[in-house]
Amino acid sequence: MKERALRIGKPTPLIGIASEPDNFNPDLPAVLILNSGVMHHVGTCRLSVKIARAIADKGLLVVRFDFSGIGDSEPRRGALSFEESSIAETREVMDYLQKTRGISQFILYGLCSGADASYCTGLADERVVGMMKIDPYCYRTWQYSLRYYVPLLFHMDRWQSFLSKKIARVVGGKKDKAPNEIAGVDEQYFEVPTYTRRFPPRDQVAEGLRKLVARDVSVFVAFTGGEPEYLYLNQYRQSFRDVDFRNLLRVDYYPEANHIITQLDYQPRIVAGIADWVLNVARGRIANPDANKTAAA
Amino acid sequence: MIPQFFGNADAPLYGVYLPPKATPRDAGVVLCYPFGQEYMRAHRAYRQLALLLSKKGYHVLRFDYRGTGDSSGDIEDGVTAQDWIDDVGLAVNELRESTGVSSIAVVGLRLGALIAGVACAARNDIDQLIVWDPILDGFEYEHELLQEISNEKPSMWGGPSSGNLHDTEGSIHFNGFRLTQKFRESMRKLSLRDARPTTVKKILQAVSHEAPGFTDLKAAWQSHPGYRYQLAPAPHDWNYVDNFGGILLPQPVIQAIVNAMD
Repeated sequence: MKERALRIGKPTPLIGIASEPDNFNPDLPAVLILNSGVMHHVGTCRLSVKIARAIADKGLLVVRFDFSGIGDSEPRRGALSFEESSIAETREVMDYLQKTRGISQFILYGLCSGADASYCTGLADERVVGMMKIDPYCYRTWQYSLRYYVPLLFHMDRWQSFLSKKIARVVGGKKDKAPNEIAGVDEQYFEVPTYTRRFPPRDQVAEGLRKLVARDVSVFVAFTGGEPEYLYLNQYRQSFRDVDFRNLLRVDYYPEANHIITQLDYQPRIVAGIADWVLNVARGRIANPDANKTAAA
Repeated sequence: MIPQFFGNADAPLYGVYLPPKATPRDAGVVLCYPFGQEYMRAHRAYRQLALLLSKKGYHVLRFDYRGTGDSSGDIEDGVTAQDWIDDVGLAVNELRESTGVSSIAVVGLRLGALIAGVACAARNDIDQLIVWDPILDGFEYEHELLQEISNEKPSMWGGPSSGNLHDTEGSIHFNGFRLTQKFRESMRKLSLRDARPTTVKKILQAVSHEAPGFTDLKAAWQSHPGYRYQLAPAPHDWNYVDNFGGILLPQPVIQAIVNAMD
């Protein structure tokens, strides 16, 4: 495996790192690793580097790059929102790899906002054949409510906290604290992503997932214990009962891991799981490049 | 910004070179990152510092030590603090050879300041050293991290813990990064108080807050004819971790460093 720095696009290039396998095969999908929030392409806790190297060691090209204005990529002029530019720039990297390396299939990886960008780009571009998302959009089920509210009954402090927040919102119009207020840092010295994360309506996402399934896109979603809207392994499947994923969906749940996975003992497990899944998807694609009915689950 | 790999071909280091955006000076600046989550959180501030310096005509190189960031390897591969000191040397040589500048300044933040200070003391070709909220020695840094771990409160209502711990093999797990026993042992040998960067012409100790350790270093270094101490009050918790990905931009210190480069 070798690594190479990339400058993609003019006049303001996107900066990225290609992890190139020893035996490069353009018939295999390449993997693109997207930014999480304002963290640069090294990824939270250096996870993007570890994932990229693990996948490249299995024979696939991996590119982790910074969206414009994030990390090592300078801001670009234009009026596109992050939601729009993240799709456009991911496609730009795909165009670049298609032109320079002859790659026509891509698997996208992202955590949090990177997961959202993976999903949106996957819907917009048919070259996307797989997506691996950590803490992506998720939706509550009746079991979620049961698991969330019942324990409240047995913990007076949680109950009081829950009620006081609800009352404060209704009576005083109290809003959630801004990130800088939670951090206790003056706003002028604290930068947070411009992208405000809002989960689209569930039916809209279900429709999007059906489109992806119709294109045989393999989807691997993993949830951490840091995602408060997700409480048990099968929540994703249950919240999308109206989507027939066939064998295209894998769901993992890491309740002991937090959102940015600072637990070092957890990281190798997650990295290996992603690399193995990507390899299975890639093998399925190369075995059946047209119909692509085979996928990892 | 020009990303590049440099150094040993078998174990390359990643750096980002920023050419001058004003009349070029015959001078370059090497930026040395802190460690771990602090590295992640300082990336934005370093990018801004690099940009401001380039607008003053400096050639700037910020780089990742081996086993960190985009550089090759992993800290678990037996990397030591001495390796990082050597990496500062490689970065200095790279900037000097690729741009032809005569004068080099080295800036380090937190653990990066300790590494930079010791690296500069071992050379005779560095013109300016800037230590920003420096870690004074390896023992102090270990103590700080271990203290943070022991002060940590269990997560509320059974949520995931941070995973911060001191494991049985002697590694410190801290906010998603590992400081191995081997690295710790090598780091303990480093001390800014003992480092004598006598050949460095100018030294700036830029601090965002007052702390006893900063005063100790001032006492140790103030006899140096080019030494200056500057307090630029600003937030300084580089280990702050949240779910929003919020990061510090302590403008007063960044500006103090840029101003010191005149």
